[in-house]
Amino acid sequence: MPYVYCDPQLCTGCRTCELVCPSVHERVFNPRLSRIHVVRLEPAIDVAITCRQCENAPCVAVCPVGALRKSRTGLVEVIAERCIGCGLCSEACPFGVIQLYNGKAIKCDLCGGDPACVKRCTPGALKLISPEDLASEKRHAYVAQRTQKEVKT
Amino acid sequence: MMPVLKGYAGQILRVDLTRGKILKQPLPPDLARGYIGGSGMGARILYDEVPPEVKPLSPENRLIFATGPVTGTIYPPSGRYCVVTRAPLTGIWGEAHSGGYWGPALKYAGYDLIIIQGRSPKPVYLAIDDDKVELRGAKHLWGKNTAETTDAIEEELGDPTPRIACIGQAGEHLVKFACIVNERSRVAGRTGVGAVMGSKRLKAVAVRGSKSVEVADFDRVCKLANEAHKRYTTGEWGKACRDSLYVYGTPGLVDWENEIGRLPTKGHQTGVFEYAKDIGPERFVREFVIHRRSCMNCSIQCKKVARVRSGPHEGITEGPEYETIVAFGSNCLVRDFPALMQANQLCNIYGMDTISCGGAASFAMECYERGALSDHELGMSLRWSDGDRMVELVKMIAFRKGIGNLLAEGVREAARRIGKGSERWAIQVKGLEASGQDGRPHQSAGLTHAISVIGAAHLRALSSLDELDYRKPLTERYGKAKAKDLGDRLSTKYKGMLVKDVEDLYAVVDSLITCKYGTMWPPIFYFDDYAKLLPALTGIEEFGSVKELRVVAERIVNLKRAYNARLGLDRKDDTLPDRMLKDPMPEGSAKGKVVDLKPMLDEYYRERGWDVRTGLQRRNTLKKFGLADVARDLAKQRRIAKG
Repeated sequence: MPYVYCDPQLCTGCRTCELVCPSVHERVFNPRLSRIHVVRLEPAIDVAITCRQCENAPCVAVCPVGALRKSRTGLVEVIAERCIGCGLCSEACPFGVIQLYNGKAIKCDLCGGDPACVKRCTPGALKLISPEDLASEKRHAYVAQRTQKEVKT
Repeated sequence: MMPVLKGYAGQILRVDLTRGKILKQPLPPDLARGYIGGSGMGARILYDEVPPEVKPLSPENRLIFATGPVTGTIYPPSGRYCVVTRAPLTGIWGEAHSGGYWGPALKYAGYDLIIIQGRSPKPVYLAIDDDKVELRGAKHLWGKNTAETTDAIEEELGDPTPRIACIGQAGEHLVKFACIVNERSRVAGRTGVGAVMGSKRLKAVAVRGSKSVEVADFDRVCKLANEAHKRYTTGEWGKACRDSLYVYGTPGLVDWENEIGRLPTKGHQTGVFEYAKDIGPERFVREFVIHRRSCMNCSIQCKKVARVRSGPHEGITEGPEYETIVAFGSNCLVRDFPALMQANQLCNIYGMDTISCGGAASFAMECYERGALSDHELGMSLRWSDGDRMVELVKMIAFRKGIGNLLAEGVREAARRIGKGSERWAIQVKGLEASGQDGRPHQSAGLTHAISVIGAAHLRALSSLDELDYRKPLTERYGKAKAKDLGDRLSTKYKGMLVKDVEDLYAVVDSLITCKYGTMWPPIFYFDDYAKLLPALTGIEEFGSVKELRVVAERIVNLKRAYNARLGLDRKDDTLPDRMLKDPMPEGSAKGKVVDLKPMLDEYYRERGWDVRTGLQRRNTLKKFGLADVARDLAKQRRIAKG
């Protein structure tokens, strides 16, 4: 299942994703309502995090009213009508990427497959990718870098 | 409370520190219509509330933090705010701008502006959490640097992280070029706004906001924002932005400016630095940059985190910017990049403007060389190119120790007290140390330094169109007949008109508030773009006409000018150091040239509709821009020209 991945080497912490996300979902300019958040640690870390669409999602497991489910496509989704706003999902999520807004859980829904945050990411830090594809990319990058080094020396 | 106008939060926060009173006032719609926001609104408030008899460091002076209709929205870049005050370094109109996240946070909390007045009996900081606003004791923070202060307040107020703008020790000690630092490394730098904050015993303003910024036409703002993002990131300009500002940041300029002989070196004695490569962009990225950063919602992203891995200056800093590299590097003949970065970091944590502080350092070095300051007076030897001693000097200035106490007054005042002809080496205009340009190889930059309402700064009216001969925008904006002369940076022809035009454009940019990147360089956005944007943000239809928008721009420029005119400034103050006017450039593309200021200045005044002989504004000019009340005020004080 693909999710919105952020490369911490590239993320500049500009928080454009935090503005784009609620502009698409709530039609407002308000980073507080974003489903993706940038974490900055001094002196030199910036990274955006959002729902990883877990295979065994703890939020789905703890929801007492079945308002969260793993859909057939693999998306972890909120069924807003069922949500009672108890916040157990927020407690259970290891990454802190589900929150409540207007008494309902909100989280990344991948914008239906074409995430707005990815499109507007200036440094190209965000991408929609599955863990399998990410691993493959990393293998490729690792070997490329390694062989380059060896050629040089 | 519902905002009156869209695009604005709709409220002003007024804080009287003397009485510990906090007042929330509705944003007057006429203030928005007349002055857009940012430094435009700040100009109206300062003009009305801070008359000439109020001294910069007296409690009655105002310290205004201002955002604009772009702040906090999705239109890139939207992270800027400005600080407006009567400046202690120069005694005149003062403004300083900063990026980061603080400005948007203020808007999300529900305020367009904060007006600080009075003086607190004891150190305090202002904590804003949406509607909850309180003054909290800051005795435990007094004496801390900006990083320590930020850490401590973050700890105190807890999560979610508040955005913090604060002063360091320099602001507390009323160093005349102390700045205000937000998020540790973003800085409202110029004219000494930090000293005003220190004089009010206000250590910090911490802001947390959770509200939305509402605009008049949401879909149109999103569409215009997407288009703006594309123009910043694709095509010729997109490539230029990425290859320079994203990869190198502003240090990318060092090579180019050195090539055209415009890299101020050895206290502006020349424009070519033999060791520019040692403080240049390639070395910066190869040896020091460990991370790239950005201000809020920016499509360029010019910020860099740099690390010195070993040696006496080991450590991490954000920056240095081009201006800092000039101020502490070439202008001090310092090729020791780690020392320069240490000076940058010390300025960030003590809270000092790097341009003015570097200007004080190069001034002191020249005084030492020419015997105006002795080893004894300095407490050390201070030769050109000595990076370690320069770092020592920065510390002395921040704490006003030894000679630092004198240099903390700025080079104009320091030279006045030192005498011995040192006025000639004090490279300043109106009391503000010159930024990293030189008018000899770039004539219009000379005019910019001379007429700038805050003193020798670049951000009020500097043009890159002529510096880089951008023929296409020059032709589009000013016509084919003038484009050739305009594109020649050594020519003075039409430069009065050019500087007037960019000053007007920046009056809008500084009121929106957006960034000079995209307007100054690359020249992507112009009046027509903001005429499209402003009505979509605010619903104010008048802003939709370029003609009307230009009237607003000229109103703002004229009002700031009137502020200085009321304090006695006129043509005699619109000048440059002798070094630029009389000493021919010794090398580079402008070898043998001085700044030919007079024809440019005459043309500039004519273009503005001001009196050429005195530089004073005319009644009819002021009336034309809706400033009849200001004209009456100036007439009373005989600071107006006939006609």
